[in-house]
Amino acid sequence: MDAFVQPGFWVFVLALAGIYGIFALGLQIQYGVGGIMNFGHVGMMAVSGYTIAVLVIKYQWSFWWAAFVGVVLAALLGALLGLTTLRLSGDYFAIASIAFAEITRYWILNTDSVTGGTQGTLAIPNPLGFGGYTNQPDLILTWISDRLYPIVGDEASRDMSMIFIVWPFLFLFIWIASKLQQTSWARVLRATREDDDVPRSLGKNVFRFRLQTLVIGSVFGGIAGVFWALQFALLAPEDFLRIVTFYGWMILILAGATRVKGLIIASIFFGFLYGSTRFLEFWPLSLLSSPERAYLRVFLIGFVIILLMLKRPQGLFGKRQEMVLE
Amino acid sequence: MSDLIQYTFNGLVVGSIFAIAAVGISLLYSVLRLVNFAAGDFLTLGAFLTYFLSVTLELNFFFSIVVSMLAGMGISWFLELVLWRNLRRNKAGTLALFLVATGVALMLRPIIQFLFGTETRKFNIDILKTYDFLGARIAHTQLLVLIFASASILVIALFISKARIGKDMRAYANNPGLAAVSGINVDRVVLATWLISGALGSLAGVFQGLVQGQFNNSMGESLLLSFFAAVVLGTIGDAYGALVGGLLLGLFMELSQLSFFFGGVPSNYKPVVAFATLVLVLLFKPEGIFGYRGRKV
Repeated sequence: MDAFVQPGFWVFVLALAGIYGIFALGLQIQYGVGGIMNFGHVGMMAVSGYTIAVLVIKYQWSFWWAAFVGVVLAALLGALLGLTTLRLSGDYFAIASIAFAEITRYWILNTDSVTGGTQGTLAIPNPLGFGGYTNQPDLILTWISDRLYPIVGDEASRDMSMIFIVWPFLFLFIWIASKLQQTSWARVLRATREDDDVPRSLGKNVFRFRLQTLVIGSVFGGIAGVFWALQFALLAPEDFLRIVTFYGWMILILAGATRVKGLIIASIFFGFLYGSTRFLEFWPLSLLSSPERAYLRVFLIGFVIILLMLKRPQGLFGKRQEMVLE
Repeated sequence: MSDLIQYTFNGLVVGSIFAIAAVGISLLYSVLRLVNFAAGDFLTLGAFLTYFLSVTLELNFFFSIVVSMLAGMGISWFLELVLWRNLRRNKAGTLALFLVATGVALMLRPIIQFLFGTETRKFNIDILKTYDFLGARIAHTQLLVLIFASASILVIALFISKARIGKDMRAYANNPGLAAVSGINVDRVVLATWLISGALGSLAGVFQGLVQGQFNNSMGESLLLSFFAAVVLGTIGDAYGALVGGLLLGLFMELSQLSFFFGGVPSNYKPVVAFATLVLVLLFKPEGIFGYRGRKV
């Protein structure tokens, strides 16, 4: 249990929580405001992460310009998804959105010449040699940790630098999202969650409103991909499996469908769950080998999702009637 | 010509497995309005349990398959009692059902990994033995699967159309309220649906394991969307439709590799053919091949 008193562990948990918090915020806007069940959210993160990797590694773009293009492409993918399938009813859209994300992943997996295929971004042809892969993310994070060093001493690390980058953005986005929820735009959308006909009779174009929500959510998915690329530098197709979307959904239902601020606690809880299972060494878990304990994390996340839906479908902070809709 | 025969045969084999898995998913949707995200992992479970019994414990292969099917039924029964019944009582919405089914999948996968390991497995059957049929190479395992899967499909179709509980299922799916007042025991219908889908999941898993030759514990999960494609193609909630949709999708996935289809789809894009079929059917004919236009989607 020593691991849990190490500051390094909590720094990692917070860095991860920040990235997933932004990821889940995108889902929360889509579901909480627009009632859209997007189960292919991971596709947006994959698109922006990979766009950055390719532009930075292959074409030596600056990281931040590549990040901008990555987020734009994620938004475009969201728009494409919405324009084609958002007219379907909830469960059909959910399935279509998974198909979209899986097609994206298969394309990444099988287009070796662009994405590096199964070997991940390590296999992207790189004129600068091995160092060129992690060069830019490393420079950005080292620049920050150099400035942290005088304050925190040896605790300054890559993960801690990530916290200083991600969390201000998370707070900013949460603030924006909570402002967004008070706009007339969000009120129209909330009305569409209950019944399409009322807002339509008031002359509101329901489809366009929902499409906007989907794209805004996708932008946050894309931004999560930017920080993912920064944190891990090397990406592989198996980083973007279906399950990642459900990590986001776990955070979302833990927080509650419209409780933006609940996301902070929920994503820290997720980060802890994700990071801690390797270190749970007490009996009977000590019988499991270290890789087996990594599966334990998936098991626990499944368990938390089921428990929440059975006992507290509104999440820790949410209102019951918002989660049991439909 | 021999290519055409080869891919048609492959398509029938794959399609018959899709059909078996898809009919379970479709029945569950028709009765419970539940999209079973855990269906893929029930395939994996069936394949690994059959492996454990027939290879590790050296029991009879057919006996092992039967035990695996019973295990699939048992787990489904258990989940119906502890989960689904409670969710129905709470009037859980679409999202809750989605997420709980996913939660089941997320819990099942590590259990399989823990119990049976993460290594790639293969059944104790000669996977290299092939026959020559008009220039096409037909594997012994493929032939076995095609024969037994076709027989299973026939049994399923007969069961749904003739057996009392099969009729009750269709009646309940058509009009739950009317079925309930005309004396159909709802809990019994739901339980029967779960048992059928559990048994079919294990069976399809063994078939898939045989056809692949080697399988690992992401086998079922990676097929899940293809099953959904088969279900949607054959009209979601229509059991016969799912059987036909599965066969059609299997044929389409294999035949799309022939050169007449835009020069042939590379074999590693086969799953994408299924996903794209899913999206295209949802876009242009969401009611599926057996549905009618007025159906709400």
